[in-house]
Amino acid sequence: MTQTTPKSIYRLIAVLSFIISVNFSFGQAFNSLWIPDTLSGTTFNLNLIDTFKQLRTGNQTVTAGVNSDFWGPTLFFNKGDTVHMNVHNYLNDSTTLHWHGMHLPAVMDGGPHQVIPPGTIWQPYWKVTNNASTYWYHPHLHTMTQEQMTKGLGGFIIVRDPQEAALAIPRKYGVDDIPLMLTSRRYDGGNAMTYINCSYGDYMLTNGTPNSQVTLPKQMVRLRILNAEMERAYNLGFSDGRTFYVIGNDGGLLNAPVAETRVILAVGERIEILVDLSSNTIGDTLNLNAYNGGFGLGFPGGEPNTSGEFGSLLNNKTFRLLHINVGAATANAITTMPSTLANNTYWTANDATVNKSVTVTGGQPGQPNNPFGLDNTHFDFNVINKTVNLNDIEKWTITNSNVFGHTFHIHDVEFKLVSRSTGSVGAYESGWKDVLYLPIGSSATFVAKFDDYSDSVHPFMYHCHFGPHEDGGMMGQFVVRGSNTVSGINAQPNISTDFNLYPNPAHNKLFIQLPETNAGVYYLRMSDVAGRTVYMLPQPQLESGIDISMLPSGIYFVAVTDSKFNTITKRFIKD
Amino acid sequence: MKVRNGLKNIAILFLGFCCLSLSKPVNKTVRDFSLQNVDGKIVSTKDYKDAKGFVVVFTCIHCPFAKLYHERLNQINAKYSKLHIPLLLINSSDTIMFANESLPNMAKVAKEKKYSFSYLFDPSQSVAKDFKAEKTPHAFVIWKEDNQWTVKYNGAIDDNGAHPELVKTNYVTNAIDELLAGKSVSVAEGFSIGCAIHYRK
Repeated sequence: MTQTTPKSIYRLIAVLSFIISVNFSFGQAFNSLWIPDTLSGTTFNLNLIDTFKQLRTGNQTVTAGVNSDFWGPTLFFNKGDTVHMNVHNYLNDSTTLHWHGMHLPAVMDGGPHQVIPPGTIWQPYWKVTNNASTYWYHPHLHTMTQEQMTKGLGGFIIVRDPQEAALAIPRKYGVDDIPLMLTSRRYDGGNAMTYINCSYGDYMLTNGTPNSQVTLPKQMVRLRILNAEMERAYNLGFSDGRTFYVIGNDGGLLNAPVAETRVILAVGERIEILVDLSSNTIGDTLNLNAYNGGFGLGFPGGEPNTSGEFGSLLNNKTFRLLHINVGAATANAITTMPSTLANNTYWTANDATVNKSVTVTGGQPGQPNNPFGLDNTHFDFNVINKTVNLNDIEKWTITNSNVFGHTFHIHDVEFKLVSRSTGSVGAYESGWKDVLYLPIGSSATFVAKFDDYSDSVHPFMYHCHFGPHEDGGMMGQFVVRGSNTVSGINAQPNISTDFNLYPNPAHNKLFIQLPETNAGVYYLRMSDVAGRTVYMLPQPQLESGIDISMLPSGIYFVAVTDSKFNTITKRFIKD
Repeated sequence: MKVRNGLKNIAILFLGFCCLSLSKPVNKTVRDFSLQNVDGKIVSTKDYKDAKGFVVVFTCIHCPFAKLYHERLNQINAKYSKLHIPLLLINSSDTIMFANESLPNMAKVAKEKKYSFSYLFDPSQSVAKDFKAEKTPHAFVIWKEDNQWTVKYNGAIDDNGAHPELVKTNYVTNAIDELLAGKSVSVAEGFSIGCAIHYRK
């Protein structure tokens, strides 16, 4: 045994510190995880803006955000409230804003048909009937979704309800209840984000923060994780291999926590997990990682290429999503796991009275003019692909014997996955969902009830949630047909004759009087004399008038559309 | 199944606006142009009999990235207009879409930011189309060759918008300096970043 001399100790220290510095050098310095601001109440003002953010060394990156420089505020809804949205498009381009996962009338949904031109205020509203869970909002303008989402438009929605509120689970937003928006970006030499011929980013932006770290208290912590990627799926896990507990899917809590060490979260999906840090020591560190290596071709992000349209520096490997430092516990910390969470009554295959199928088609290599589609067709604004009768419980089977993995998202409903061709439905995905991961060479079947809202003209979407795929037309639309043309929270018969508009000239408020006392308006669009749309009001509640106080003086036009798409236009003067 | 007219109507109703994307490379030459200045007078490239070239920058009022460059535009013009390379700032916004992008509002900005150069209004977007300008700000250095205006540089003004003190490469002034020295421009295209110019159909 040789004696350890001071010199060799120094050498050892030098070697160790070299190893440590190598270990950390790939990540430069960590940045504190951005926690989105919150908005709550029943009226939400969302300003969509073009802006820029310092994301890299050198020039700023041109981004877009909602009241922010990337991403947007987290909206807190209480189940049972009617929420009113003032969406003001200050962008350089048209957009839409889709309330992903929300059950609402099709005309409020923010899909590709509800285009908001620049300068316009769109005011959808709906009664929140969704269960407590993590939802989100994002643009859905056909062919522009990838570009606008890449720039950063989007945000979380957190729904609260009494059942969830009664559980002893973490609920302090930003403290022990953390929203995590997972996405990555590729940059060109000028630090601009790439969104053309680009399926994957090269650098993680967790909540819009590069190289993010967060200090979490030494207790039970809840992570609400959203995959907001363009195509990549994440095989989530912790660097120490610890068990975590899945407590919720897209549309609500599971009946009981499900213990996992790895869970695949595909584009558009959300998962709520509890991770127990109570036995850690303050100062401990661990990483939330994506264990994406070894899946092979077909897994979104499994391609071996490191560059090009389907390549990425993050492909087919393990990489860090979030660095976690364990800090002191908070007062009233949650340290135990409830054994039961909810008592969901799920639909079963036997409940379904109608069966539908959707098949992934197109996208074969070497056929550049045949992008991925559904049922051998591509999205067409003027074609309704499927019709559902109001209140029907339907079973949809989605089949992917194509060349790549996908996700499938359907608007309007939360569904129950009832079977997969690859084996049984995973316990971690056994709750209410609105997006399912559809691996290559497999099919999945879900059951959903299409209740409350019918509109035989205005459709809902179903589509692959991969930005490049939905923009390429891997999307269809369905209408929910009821006994009336339109039903919902402001269901009204048609305007049979003319309407009155007063006062004229108007200054603060404009009133619309319909000839029949119970008549209603399906859509109201106000534009100025140059043809600029200023207001888009789906199924407007007109009793208290339309606030026009902020409009410049001038001549305006009000186009009132009934549920049979008869439109009458009248002129008024704002003084 | 074809849907009745209703659906088509909403699509038409709300899809009135779309975007035309122009792709690189830029024209090798651009035409002379005449546009109204914020003082009401018409300014033409032909008015500058002794101009060797121009720095033409496309901008707009509302883009936050374009707003970062007021001071730098004044500095470029102060240095190079004396050397017969004046700067012309052009607003080619879609004025149907953006009501605030108007000549009176441009005049307010010019006054407030003490612009030492002409700030021209291109409401028909014809000059921007001729240049194939894509962003705000988007800079061009054009040079007189064989009695024509040749584009010698196209792209960003420099490589740091929010932090002028951290700029490493001044694309526009480097290009002019090289041209004045009789050299060819070493970086003929810089990354142009900022808000997209929305072309009216």
